[in-house]
Amino acid sequence: MKSVFKKNKILVVIVVGILLVLSLNFFQKTVKGFFYATSAPVQKSLEQTGSNATDFFSGVFRSKELKKENEELELNIQILLAENASLKEIQEENQVLRGALEIGLQKDFRLALAEITSQDIGQGSILINQGSKDGLNKGMPVITQQKVLLGRITEIYEDFSRVALISSKESSFDAEVLDRGASGVVKGKSSQLLTLDLVVQDKEIKEGDVVVSASLGGIYPKGLLVGLVQEVKRSDTDPFYQIAVVPFFDLQRTNSVLIILDF
Amino acid sequence: MFRRIFIYALFFYFLALLQTSVLADLSLRGVINLISVFVILINLFEKPRDYAGLYAGFIGGFFWDIFSANFIGQNALILLALALFIKIVLRKYVWAPAF
Repeated sequence: MKSVFKKNKILVVIVVGILLVLSLNFFQKTVKGFFYATSAPVQKSLEQTGSNATDFFSGVFRSKELKKENEELELNIQILLAENASLKEIQEENQVLRGALEIGLQKDFRLALAEITSQDIGQGSILINQGSKDGLNKGMPVITQQKVLLGRITEIYEDFSRVALISSKESSFDAEVLDRGASGVVKGKSSQLLTLDLVVQDKEIKEGDVVVSASLGGIYPKGLLVGLVQEVKRSDTDPFYQIAVVPFFDLQRTNSVLIILDF
Repeated sequence: MFRRIFIYALFFYFLALLQTSVLADLSLRGVINLISVFVILINLFEKPRDYAGLYAGFIGGFFWDIFSANFIGQNALILLALALFIKIVLRKYVWAPAF
């Protein structure tokens, strides 16, 4: 009997493995929740170490590039300062007009703050430290403090939630190109790239145009920042543009996120 | 044997934590997965008659599933199959004096 067991050891390992796996899927939320809760403190400090190390190495390896970028940014600051001054004037004017017309400001979103616990870049998802206990639900949009769209909640645990990023391959939502009146569907392509499909070629779209979310599909509220147009391709056979969009979010520099509870 | 499995469990647990925190930040961008790399290495350098590499594959995949959006078991079974494949190839087709 003992020798038979020894001979079929591999088979036993496989059978036990499959049975264990199948049974664990019935308590997936509990099992994953338990591991997330116990690992959160270690993971948080590791995450911090990771972003510090990234900052250090990117500084070392990209010094030449950074110098050039710095010069460009300084130039941009000058332009933006001038723009800012004129916008302040417009804002004051706007406030006066609103007061006069008695228009209330658009109802702000109800938000909840959470921190990123871990990242799964390959799958295009992140884990945040707020869950069903904190009133979160599946499908809630997640943004950064700069109103940049990150994604939406796809899995919910008691104390944690998994957020599928807009760059994940399953992600697809309606968006529009700011000031161009063109709308289409943004799809995730890779961790660094999105595509904007179904934009009819009758509108002019240029590199550097800003893509924002549209309320059409009801997935995200209108006007959240999505990304910048990187490349626009035209084709004579295709009535639509092929547009590559670089997302605005930068996970390496984002530690906390905001969840839109209702919109 | 149990001591080795326990050590593998601890090792892969911390590797999964590293994979989803430090390494996710360090521009690896999901290209290199240390868990599968170590499962392959363990199975390649272990004696083909030993079975601990199979446990390593299963445990490594299990922790990978826990800390990712996959359902529990997807990578556990893939890495178990991979470990088994390496074992069979080494046993049947590779001859080395060390084995």
